[in-house]
Amino acid sequence: MGPRAAQDGVGGGAMTRTERRNLRNGLLFASPYIFGFLVFTLYPFAASVYYSFCNFNAIDPPVWTGLDNYKQMLGDATLRTSLFNTLYFTVGSVPLGIVFAILLAVLLNQKLRGISVYRTVFFLPTIVPLVASAVLWLWVLNPESGLLNGILRAMNVDGALAAVGLSLPNWLSDEHWAMPSLILMSFWSVGGAVVIFLAGLADVPQSLYEVADIDGAGPLRKFWNVTLPMITPTILFNLVMGLIGAFQYFTQVYVMTAGTGGPANKTLVYALYLYQMAFKYLNMGYASAMGWMLFVLVLICTLGVLYTSKRWVHYYGD
Amino acid sequence: MFRTYLSWLGMALACAVVLAFLWPSEAGSEAEREALRNGRKIITYWDRSQGHEYETHNELIREFNASQDRIYVRTLSVGWRIEKLLTAIASGAPPDVCSMEAHTLSQLAPQGCFVALDSWMATQPNMKPDDFFDHLYEMVNHEGRVWGIPTLTDSYCLLWNKAAFRKAGLDPERPPRTLKELEEFAAKLTVRGPGGTVEQIGFLPWLPWDFTYMWGGYFGGEWFDKERTRVTAASDPNILKSLEWQGSWVRDPNDPDAPAYALDSEVAQAFYNGFSAGGAYFSATNPFYTGKVAMIHEGEWQCTFIPKYAPSLDWGVAPIPQPEGAPPRSYSPSTVLDGIPSGSRNPDEALTFLAWFYAERSENEPSPASDYAFLIHNVPARRVEASQERFSGDPKFKVFVNELMTKPAVYFPASPVGRLFADQTQVAREYVMFGLSEPEAALKNLESKVNAEWDRVRPKTVSAAAP
Repeated sequence: MGPRAAQDGVGGGAMTRTERRNLRNGLLFASPYIFGFLVFTLYPFAASVYYSFCNFNAIDPPVWTGLDNYKQMLGDATLRTSLFNTLYFTVGSVPLGIVFAILLAVLLNQKLRGISVYRTVFFLPTIVPLVASAVLWLWVLNPESGLLNGILRAMNVDGALAAVGLSLPNWLSDEHWAMPSLILMSFWSVGGAVVIFLAGLADVPQSLYEVADIDGAGPLRKFWNVTLPMITPTILFNLVMGLIGAFQYFTQVYVMTAGTGGPANKTLVYALYLYQMAFKYLNMGYASAMGWMLFVLVLICTLGVLYTSKRWVHYYGD
Repeated sequence: MFRTYLSWLGMALACAVVLAFLWPSEAGSEAEREALRNGRKIITYWDRSQGHEYETHNELIREFNASQDRIYVRTLSVGWRIEKLLTAIASGAPPDVCSMEAHTLSQLAPQGCFVALDSWMATQPNMKPDDFFDHLYEMVNHEGRVWGIPTLTDSYCLLWNKAAFRKAGLDPERPPRTLKELEEFAAKLTVRGPGGTVEQIGFLPWLPWDFTYMWGGYFGGEWFDKERTRVTAASDPNILKSLEWQGSWVRDPNDPDAPAYALDSEVAQAFYNGFSAGGAYFSATNPFYTGKVAMIHEGEWQCTFIPKYAPSLDWGVAPIPQPEGAPPRSYSPSTVLDGIPSGSRNPDEALTFLAWFYAERSENEPSPASDYAFLIHNVPARRVEASQERFSGDPKFKVFVNELMTKPAVYFPASPVGRLFADQTQVAREYVMFGLSEPEAALKNLESKVNAEWDRVRPKTVSAAAP
């Protein structure tokens, strides 16, 4: 501590006047966020822990019921259905979405004239508001007049199916096809992941490709042995973000099934069931318990992925 | 230094300008500002209606505002979902008066969210219990008190396409009168194209949406116990029969035992989809308008919709057929009603407004409430008004009103779990239709789910009534 600190009359480790002012100004500038975080995030977070142990309808004061909500969850068949649906969606949409995003990123990584236009085109769907895109997809998936079945009919797929006694799917209103429809739809907004993969691809050291060239590797081999291992950190990131997003999947299915999760609960995903419990049937306590259960599930899955990542994620220079 | 302060000042000014621009103004319209200047009390009315219904309602409320020098009603269209009202009430800032559907009232009234209106209603003309349709008055009743004023209701009938009847060799002026006839006609009206495709169907019991609850009642079944505090549907043979009957409409086409009217599951779903997809219901592509569905259960509003969207459609209205021996019923599932939240800041002014809305303007001039029903083509909730000439002028509309006038209604009784129950009846039917569950198991599932929820909310209902 120099003479300056002694002059300020404070002991060792104290801040100078400038530092104090900077801290004050810094806190002042960050205060809207800090306030918002405490009031709109931390408090509801903490309150929901308490409510999850209560019978609470949002109007009367909560009544402590201990572990009742959690016990009820164990015996709730609809909850199991919704959990299955969420897992189905996650397993269907996340890995395929990543494969799809990598393929697109590799294609969009070519040095072609106007490539930035293509990149923009594939990113555009990501900008469309979720509700608008969900309504749009209602039209695309309409079995009678929709674009998808229209294309399939033009390709005479319906004729081929009819020959084996099948018909074109009713997509969202078919109990077998409803969830695959949502998974299919999720690939539409893969543009965000593509952009991240493009950044990952740009980070692959050129020297490795040169070495591979000298070793006589073809394009496929280079992709498999150089590109793919080098973008595993990006894959890990997209995998974790994708998992979290898929577990919280809500908006599109809410819009497309008018909040019912039909037909026959086949698209009743976990977040939608939670929402119904909270805001349709006013069972806030149960919904809070469901929320924490979801948190634990996402945490376990994320930790699981991170744990296995030691074996398949490679960092350049390690 | 001075420059730093200047830039701070500049920033503060810029923020002030942005804030001033974004700040919600106290008064929404010029008329409202004028009312504020004149010292009138502004009360808020949350309207569950939207679109042209909201506009019509607003037009009537403007008439009230013009007649007043003390009160001004500010309206806001919030839609029928419960979330907005729930959060407003929970946060202690509800509207002064609001409209809602019966399920919403049933979920919130036991929590003491509304002002009891029975003693006030007793002082008003045409608001005695007998003035309303019985079932609608019951819907706003909880724990022996009345929490809302029913405004509107719906009535359902069978609509049939006369041209399709002619083509199928049926008498176009004779709708099916029994359930058996409904089945026979449906089979005759199913038109198959080349390659087994189905181009037109006669009827499906869940078009344009789910009618599981109604069919249970129409089969003579009872979904609840006598006190209506528990679902007992799984042990009611008629409810079970109604669900089995609904399931019989979807069968494997190769099943030799399948009834003649049955359809392949995929075909049935495709036709169901025709109503829901892309706003088809409210358009000229509604499958009933285009002739793809020859018979359908529908509400009284079709008397305006069909002339608007399908003016050339030749159609008739008749009661929905019931099984032989079942007691005659009409179907009027719910009601739109007005209520005053207990946190209302201006309950007296709200009552003044409601008194105006529900009272006849003069001897021969109907109430604004009757106008509202008439203008949006719904059935008014009061028997006295439903029997006004304006509601029987259109012979088709008259059939709908007549149903409610002459037969006891199947309706969703007031219950805090009504919404869950209604949703679960549809889920039960879907499970049966897709072959995921036998009818009895589906009903048992419904019973256990709804009764468990009833157990959860029941202690509240009782304690709320104690004082």
